Amino acid sequence: MSQWLNQVIEQAKQVDDYLAPVRQQALQTLVNDGWPGRRDEAWRFTPLTAVTDRESQLAGAQKAAQAPDVEGLNAIDLVFANGQLVTDLSDITWPEGVSVSTLAEAGEHEAAVASVFGQVKPARHLFGLVNDALCQQGIFIDVAENANVETPIRIVNLATENVDAHTRVLVRLGESSRATIIEHGTGDTQSLTTAFAEYDIASSAHLEHYRFVMFTGEATQLGGSHFKLHDKSELNSTFVGYGSQLSRVDVDIHHAGEFADAKMNAIYLLAEGELFDLHSTIEHAMPNGTTEENARGVIGDRARAVFNGRIHIHRDAQKTLAELNNRNLLLSRRALINTKPELEIYADDVKCAHGATVAEIDESALYYLLTRGVTRSKALVMLNFGFIQELVNQMPNAALREWLLPVLSERFARMEVK
Amino acid sequence: MLKISNLHASVEDKVIIKGLDLEVNPGEVHAIMGPNGAGKSTLGYVLSGRDGYEVTDGNVTLNDADLLELEVEERARAGLFLAFQYPVEIPGVSNMEFMKESVNAMREQRGEEPLTAAEFLKKAKAACKQVQLPLDFLKRGVNEGFSGGEKKRNEIMQMILLEPSLCILDESDSGLDIDALQVVADGVNSQRDGKRSFIVVTHYQRLLDYIKPDFVHILADGKIVKSGDASLALEVEKGGYAFLGKAYEETEA
Repeated sequence: MSQWLNQVIEQAKQVDDYLAPVRQQALQTLVNDGWPGRRDEAWRFTPLTAVTDRESQLAGAQKAAQAPDVEGLNAIDLVFANGQLVTDLSDITWPEGVSVSTLAEAGEHEAAVASVFGQVKPARHLFGLVNDALCQQGIFIDVAENANVETPIRIVNLATENVDAHTRVLVRLGESSRATIIEHGTGDTQSLTTAFAEYDIASSAHLEHYRFVMFTGEATQLGGSHFKLHDKSELNSTFVGYGSQLSRVDVDIHHAGEFADAKMNAIYLLAEGELFDLHSTIEHAMPNGTTEENARGVIGDRARAVFNGRIHIHRDAQKTLAELNNRNLLLSRRALINTKPELEIYADDVKCAHGATVAEIDESALYYLLTRGVTRSKALVMLNFGFIQELVNQMPNAALREWLLPVLSERFARMEVK
Repeated sequence: MLKISNLHASVEDKVIIKGLDLEVNPGEVHAIMGPNGAGKSTLGYVLSGRDGYEVTDGNVTLNDADLLELEVEERARAGLFLAFQYPVEIPGVSNMEFMKESVNAMREQRGEEPLTAAEFLKKAKAACKQVQLPLDFLKRGVNEGFSGGEKKRNEIMQMILLEPSLCILDESDSGLDIDALQVVADGVNSQRDGKRSFIVVTHYQRLLDYIKPDFVHILADGKIVKSGDASLALEVEKGGYAFLGKAYEETEA
């Protein structure tokens, strides 16, 4: 059993609001299922020791905090500091077609919030249930039909105190609308953040999504981004993960309509003794959907990565095209990856492929660069970083690309190759 | 310039080069021909210092430096260039970034200032044009998705940019149609300045119609078994490698 979970359950019992049906269900599951054991498949390679005996405590009032600067992004920033929203929503001029409210003061949006809260995210994620039961700090973003929102909206989680932060992002994209949403989390001190986001993407809508999981050091981060795709909707999503003492992201993409198209790229770059765990599940419940998922990681020093990518094609999901690829590069003998691509197919007329590779440095490519006089150390950076850069270059937002490349290459340069 | 004496080399304990001697003077073009499995490609790898190609005897000097003592990248900086038969694809590393790094490494070796991005771009564009590759190839991943002919032309472009003193062309003609062959040959010929030397490794005489060799050597079973002038290549073209004995005739059939 876990002291932390017991305390969380006690805290959750105090929460009573319009989201009670979902909260109570979540609480009940937490009480019934208890703390996962070592044999629990979802946590098999990711020990929860950093959380088990943690003292659960929520933050007091927070001051306004500065979001990490991304030059040229020109986003609307919504900042959570240690789990408390510090941005005053009334200070913001929202683009046409966008309305935003907090979870706590949803007012007229209550019904809309309830239509997304816990409705996109599957109930099997332990920390998602904690977030369901307990989270009172959240943002609901409603994008009207046909709205074309060009200004990116960035939701920032900053962890600077040793407290538990639970934040929620709920997004509803109306029919044929377009929007760009960025989830950006950072922090390196002892802290615990559960940050979950749910996206309900209506017919023919298009979501450009990024999640930067840049928690490091002693921070603990447990979060998820979950998407429901309706007919002909499109998702283009990029995840970037650093590792910390414990960092875990669950992703679910649910093809609930036909002809939906999902593209998901994930990059993880781990050093020292960091741990990063990415679990993704793609549910093809309807016909004619497409999914392309590429996850690539570079793992150095004593770092550990866990990747679990599942594609589940239901009986009715004929003509599905789904591809999942995970490539890993280990820079040291002590670096570790546990990768597991899973395909589960119940329809007979589908095209699916999956694969996972774990490689060390490509000697023939290295040799080729050396024969052109490039130094060994420079060649190693070019090669290993090229692997990552390819996915960065696929990010549609130019300002994010230009910000991320040097940030990642600097992180990479500090990683030791041997 | 290049002096190879009594070179013996093996790969995974299999002896491939068995006592090879060759001297290349500044400005000379040497063609090395020979049947499959003679050790033609191995020679390029051994000289460039590829891992796994072990020199068991003999020595090699390039411009009086002991080549075999140098690391792969030091050999390149010493002026050795190997145009690969099968250039490797490196997605994610752009041709441009790679070549700029490479050209500036050579300049550093010569005690010259690194080129600025603009200066490099100008040179790269000119070289690209010379081998008739579209300019967007500079931005693409190294050899990524290039056709066989485009890869070969990319090798020649690199050679033009790096200005080596000794170029080894490993079957730069294989898989090329006549137009591509002409482009490759023109690229090579444009670099003949009376000082730069070439070793042209080829299976067929055809390339030597375009790149006129001063000397032709026949490599068989790890040794040079016959040397002559350009007419030797024509002889091989007519009669094959029959003169080497029955075994080679069959492998060539």
